[in-house]
Amino acid sequence: MGVSATIEVETSTPQRTTSEERAIRARRKDFAVRWIWRLLGYVVVLGLWEWASGTVLEENLLPGPSRVFETTFDLIDQGSIVESFRATLTRIGIAITISFFLGAILGILTQNAWLRGFFKDAITIGLTAPGLIWVLITAIVFGNRWYGPLIAIVLTTFALVSVNVAEGIGSLPKDTLDMARAFGVSLFNRNRHIVIPHLAPFLFTGLRFCFSIGWKVTVLTEIFSSSSGIGFEMRIAQTLFRQDELITWILLFFLFALFLEKVVLQFFENRFFRWRKDIATA
Amino acid sequence: MTTHTAPRKTSPRRHTTQAPLIVRFVKSPKFARFLFPWAVLVFWLIGNKLIQDSWDFDSSVLATPREVWDFMWAEITNDTVAPDNVYRTFGISLRRLGVGFAIAMFLGTLIGLGMGLSKAINAFFHDWVMALLAMPALAWALFLSLIFGFDNRGPTIAVILAGIPFVIVNIREGVRSTPRELFDMSGAFNVPRAKTVRHVLLPSLFPFMFAAARYAFSIGWKGLVIAELFGGQDGAGWTMKFWYDAHRLHGVIGYSMFFVILALFIENVVLEPISRRVFKWRPALTGPDVVEEEFQHELDVASGAGTL
Repeated sequence: MGVSATIEVETSTPQRTTSEERAIRARRKDFAVRWIWRLLGYVVVLGLWEWASGTVLEENLLPGPSRVFETTFDLIDQGSIVESFRATLTRIGIAITISFFLGAILGILTQNAWLRGFFKDAITIGLTAPGLIWVLITAIVFGNRWYGPLIAIVLTTFALVSVNVAEGIGSLPKDTLDMARAFGVSLFNRNRHIVIPHLAPFLFTGLRFCFSIGWKVTVLTEIFSSSSGIGFEMRIAQTLFRQDELITWILLFFLFALFLEKVVLQFFENRFFRWRKDIATA
Repeated sequence: MTTHTAPRKTSPRRHTTQAPLIVRFVKSPKFARFLFPWAVLVFWLIGNKLIQDSWDFDSSVLATPREVWDFMWAEITNDTVAPDNVYRTFGISLRRLGVGFAIAMFLGTLIGLGMGLSKAINAFFHDWVMALLAMPALAWALFLSLIFGFDNRGPTIAVILAGIPFVIVNIREGVRSTPRELFDMSGAFNVPRAKTVRHVLLPSLFPFMFAAARYAFSIGWKGLVIAELFGGQDGAGWTMKFWYDAHRLHGVIGYSMFFVILALFIENVVLEPISRRVFKWRPALTGPDVVEEEFQHELDVASGAGTL
């Protein structure tokens, strides 16, 4: 008995490692395949782009990636990049702060059935009307005044926050709240430990949506009614027929916004909500 | 004063039993919804007055609701200052949208199928599709306007580029969610390949294709208007710009309303009945709504790109 048991252990341990190794090897191979194809994707797309500029279309009409890279340094040398980024980011920051609070208040107000009926169409319009409409209207009414773009951005983004806030309030854990009330937990502590931790992820999602739409509207509104910022530089480049500068401006800001949205905001979201596994994976 | 206090005392008791019809009507959410447009109208008029009083605005810059209504009516009855009337304008735009939409659906379905079936193809396209998903239509509009000038190609390509990532993502998701057991079973029972595609792959893919079409349509429509605005010589976007350049706010608002009305019409009157018809055989699911919810998180952020 004892002998056979030891024999079994001896045979089973090397077997297990091999299957594990096989799994690891398969995963490694999978990983390698994925990365090779991913790199290939970059090479092919960038290569096609570089090849197309000068052959399919004139280089002035379609500057290749290398030209865009050079133009980036030209723009840095001119020193207009920092100024434009600062102007646009300030505008986004102010507008999103306003829109966040406005949207949150609206989301709280719509808990009342009558007010929900009242604001229903406002939120539908806010969600579906393209930012272009608000941009053109504010451009005509307010001209180049500094608050025109802000109003356009707020009108395009507020509904996203209110929808998220309303959803968060709707899904508040009623039993936990009831229990807290039954055990005499104070209003402050109830808000501090139940309501706010529950609402935080919804607020965060609202903020992220707000930003991802907000930066696009900001650039658009700067094209029509502003004399500083990325959109303004893009308009100048377009009127002067400088395709390389136009592409460089939009790509720089695109990459920056993607970085903020997908890396910075996502990082904070995952970090704050690590304790909630269902959200942290998103 | 004394007469007023008497009913106030009785009013709470009356509430608990049966409020009068008027009170109940005023307190109903439906009435609130009905009230909203009127509130907007009042807010609009007061806003006009305030802006004119507090700043030294030229009153012709601002539009009154009356002017907007007159403008829209004149457009509908074919009495317009713009080069094309509203029917022709939207006809031109819809034709571009149709062509671009068809190409986007075709190419997007091919790439989406490939990405759903093969990990290598998925890795190849993934980052670029995500980049396209987040790229604002504005970038395409400006870029294409410099390349193609003012003809049909620019706006059409803008529709394709704006719509195609949504088609790809939806189709890929559809392929991934096809029931593997059914494929294995049809393989085990020697069902011919064409029959498997017809009876297993297509029915499970169909809701996703429908969702893809919806997204591609609504986002392509918004992309098209911006592309026409910067690189067109006719169409809805261009006409909006025409009124903008003429500094006629009522024209801009009126055209925006036509634009929103048409989008809502197509969504609710054309697409909604089709989806109800197509998904009649699936009693549990109510069509693309369910499909959209499954990966709402990804698409919600992404469809933000379409707000422009």
